[in-house]
Amino acid sequence: MSTSTPSSPPLAESLPASSQGWQKLTRLIEPIALLVPSGVWLLLLLVAPTLLILELSFIPGFRLGQSAGDYGIGNYLEIFQPIYFQVILRSVLFAIGCTVTCMLLGFPVAYWIAVMAPSRWRNLLLVAFVLPLWTSSLLRAYAWITILRPSGSLNSLLSALHLPSQEWLNQTPAVYIGMAYSFLPYMVLILYASLEKLDKRLLEAASDLGATPQQTFWKVTVPQTLPGIAAGGLLVFITSLGEFVVPELLGGASSMTISRLIYNQFLGATRNWGLGSSFSILMITGVSIAIALLLKYGDRDSALSG
Amino acid sequence: MNSLSPKLPLKISWQSMFTLLMFGFMYLPILILAVYSFNSSRFSTTWEGFSFKWYEKLFSDVRIFEALKDSLTVAFSAVGISAVLGTMMAVGLAKFRFPGKGLYRGVSYLPLIIPDIAIAVATLVFFSSLFGFLNPIIQSLNAFLTKMGLLSLPLPTLSIGTVIMAHIVFCLAYIAVVVSTRLTSLDPHLEEAALDLGATPLQAFIKVLLPELIPAILSGCLLAFILSMDDLLISGFTAGSGVNTLPMLIYSRVRTGISPDINALSVVLILASALLALTSEYVRYKGEQRRLNR
Amino acid sequence: MSSNQHHGFDGECDRLPLAHLAPDHLAPHLPLPRFSAARRRFLKTSAAIASGFVLSNCARNLSNVNLGSGDSPSPTSNAGVAKNPASGKLYIYTWANYTDDELIKGFQEKTGIQVVADPFDSNETMMAKMQAGGGTAYSIIYPSDYTVIDMVEAGMLTPLDHSRLQGLDTLRPKWQNPVYDRGNAHSIPAVWGTTGLIYDPQKVGKEIDGWSYIWDNRKSLTRQITLIDDVREVMGATLRTLGYSYNTTSPDQIKKAYSKLVQIKPTIASFLTTGWEDQLASGDVTVSMAYSQDAIKLIEEKPNLKYVVPKTGSSVWTDTMVIPKSAPNPDAAYAWMNYLLQPDIAAGLVQRLRTATANQAAFDLLPPETQKDDRLFPTEAMLSKCEGVAPVPARIAEVYDQYWTRLTSS
Repeated sequence: MSTSTPSSPPLAESLPASSQGWQKLTRLIEPIALLVPSGVWLLLLLVAPTLLILELSFIPGFRLGQSAGDYGIGNYLEIFQPIYFQVILRSVLFAIGCTVTCMLLGFPVAYWIAVMAPSRWRNLLLVAFVLPLWTSSLLRAYAWITILRPSGSLNSLLSALHLPSQEWLNQTPAVYIGMAYSFLPYMVLILYASLEKLDKRLLEAASDLGATPQQTFWKVTVPQTLPGIAAGGLLVFITSLGEFVVPELLGGASSMTISRLIYNQFLGATRNWGLGSSFSILMITGVSIAIALLLKYGDRDSALSG
Repeated sequence: MNSLSPKLPLKISWQSMFTLLMFGFMYLPILILAVYSFNSSRFSTTWEGFSFKWYEKLFSDVRIFEALKDSLTVAFSAVGISAVLGTMMAVGLAKFRFPGKGLYRGVSYLPLIIPDIAIAVATLVFFSSLFGFLNPIIQSLNAFLTKMGLLSLPLPTLSIGTVIMAHIVFCLAYIAVVVSTRLTSLDPHLEEAALDLGATPLQAFIKVLLPELIPAILSGCLLAFILSMDDLLISGFTAGSGVNTLPMLIYSRVRTGISPDINALSVVLILASALLALTSEYVRYKGEQRRLNR
Repeated sequence: MSSNQHHGFDGECDRLPLAHLAPDHLAPHLPLPRFSAARRRFLKTSAAIASGFVLSNCARNLSNVNLGSGDSPSPTSNAGVAKNPASGKLYIYTWANYTDDELIKGFQEKTGIQVVADPFDSNETMMAKMQAGGGTAYSIIYPSDYTVIDMVEAGMLTPLDHSRLQGLDTLRPKWQNPVYDRGNAHSIPAVWGTTGLIYDPQKVGKEIDGWSYIWDNRKSLTRQITLIDDVREVMGATLRTLGYSYNTTSPDQIKKAYSKLVQIKPTIASFLTTGWEDQLASGDVTVSMAYSQDAIKLIEEKPNLKYVVPKTGSSVWTDTMVIPKSAPNPDAAYAWMNYLLQPDIAAGLVQRLRTATANQAAFDLLPPETQKDDRLFPTEAMLSKCEGVAPVPARIAEVYDQYWTRLTSS
């Protein structure tokens, strides 16, 4: 990461900056007026804070109200203790599981709305599907407590059907359900955007040429929507990796995630700001790498298909 | 493009069944909350009869309205400021080339990818260390001022202002993204033409560019508004005492023992946001019609 | 990262895998990131820029000044009120269920001061919030006994002016000169109680007399208990079952307690200081570790439940009222303390909220059956088995924290 060189490629501009009627002064003032206020804001409230926690993360065991120790990489060594490694692994597994679930549940929905539903209903159906996103995410997670608790609605239903009752609250299944519920609309939106552009004549051509629906799906639909699948997967992955509310409310005592751990280091019981900062930096780095990887491989894919 | 696609009759396929099931999945929790909000029992597992008492309790709960006020204050201030800054930023980035532009744009998109908790923590550390730096200076200044018989300055602390400042960061990013999307599909020669016809750059911006951008700015604002109203972590970390946004209040209520007026609150909030969603969808639909008709 | 493509953002949009997925009509519903070539460039260059950015020890400012707890006299303590003395508003930072509408309304009627009470659920959370500067509006805080010592040491508390307080002499003798705060110099006892277990005897099928029930039945209790979300209480209770002190400073003993707790980790549904009531009442969990006040309050609604102080001993705690140095409205804080020191007010709180009072005069006003309730006012025999949580040196506190983090993270 440290050996990169700043690149200054010629930028293709949509609006040519040169125009004969412009005066030299306005040419200088305009970009400053447009870009400096938000630039300063971002520098102060985004870049500086991030660099601050980067600094804190190199002060081992920094606690508020105690004098800061020497710089060192103690916090980063501590991250790799088995117990914290377990937390990281659990967060990543939650995120992967949630992404896969959303993909499996979301693709048929997006496909039906984008390809099979009557076209004038499509927008309405999509809006209706994502409408729950407009409500408080806390309240949606809270609703699942009511459903999943041992004496909750789900078990009332199961016992009415003479099925064995399930104890999903306060453990992993509840987290998966809650997170999949939270992020499914995002997945459907992105997949829809991709499927909407699908050339339906190709589907017809494939079936005319004797392809089975399965063949058509895997050879035509999936390759064409691959960028959408990648985008949806990545978006859901990085969002669920940082999810705090669902594991906190539904996960119980044995589903500590990175977000909860960071929260506890800052406003919770343990108050180790140094360690909390190093976890934050780890998370930021991890997410950035995920995006970098996707862009790299995404580029290759689009190059292949184009 | 839609007219090209063959008219498909609505057939019963497994996909349609599955979609129906997923619609059920999306709305089930909301329905459950709605049902229990009318349950007269305090404990949400037993049904003890129909009652409006949680709604009565909700509407007599001053704290909830104060929290709503705080939330709206934060959302409107942050979105309002971000709308101006974000639009300016998007226009600036589309128009000009300068060294470091890629970095600038990259930084402006960071709030979209960095997890909330990391932003929240960083902002808290920033404010704490800023105030840690400023307070001794202000204190000695105050000592001087009081000696002169003047009013002393208040020390900066976490407050509703710090929440707004933190919210502007991500609202700015979202609004800029939406506006940028619109800018790429605009005819770049429009503004040029205006300038050629003798308009000043400011006139060209206000008369030509801005009207084209208004729908995008509004979409961006709406998105930012919703995210701001739903934010728990960033507000929770940057709010001073006495500031409780709605998500903070709900979180603390859920943590310290659930009371069923939260069910009632969800129903009210869901209805309100559904109304907002449908209105905005309608406005967007009308706007698109207008754009297509031109 | 090694791509040689250097297109502008706008020109490259359609070729990037993600960028074309954000048709702007979808935007209102979704925070869709637009991935761009610019970001790729950013990823490449940001690290280089970041390392070049000079940060002159900014983070060190954090250790110099604790917001709201500085050693230098805080000018805000007067500035806040001086600006607007009539707007008497009192912010209180307290445990959930220590105030109710009647108390707040009564206080407002008497003094004209409007009260806003925010809840916290552990002393550590409260300290974290205060030290991070998020508590500067509070004029009254309710720390527990051992936290009072920590706060005094950190210079966060204003010494109380006893001439402004009426009714201190009616405190029970034990609280006239408590060990955690000699002579009540910085704090006034507000509520005291024990930590114990609450359960449904019918569901359990027998009487529980202590912690051993959980270890003995850990196979059948999977996700059936809740523990208080507090490092010292949970570790302390386990230390007691091992025969050690609640306040041990031996890392070895703390480690043993941790190992013992790990055995029952599968039985823990969640760590909840409050909020377990609904789960216990509905039978979702079998046993909850709880503070006596919360337990007794729930038993009033659900008389089938039972609260017990473990026979191996438990903690006895006193939650106090203090005025932080950063308090913007100390006058209102004194008014609040005086209001709560009134015997009839304190007795009313005991009746309504089941908060045991340390005030003898208030105790005398209570009906006999309340006075004899040994869950509310434990007998001396019960108390002799209990210990108060005491502060431990920072080095040992870190040991506690580490094992606590391990326990909650596993």
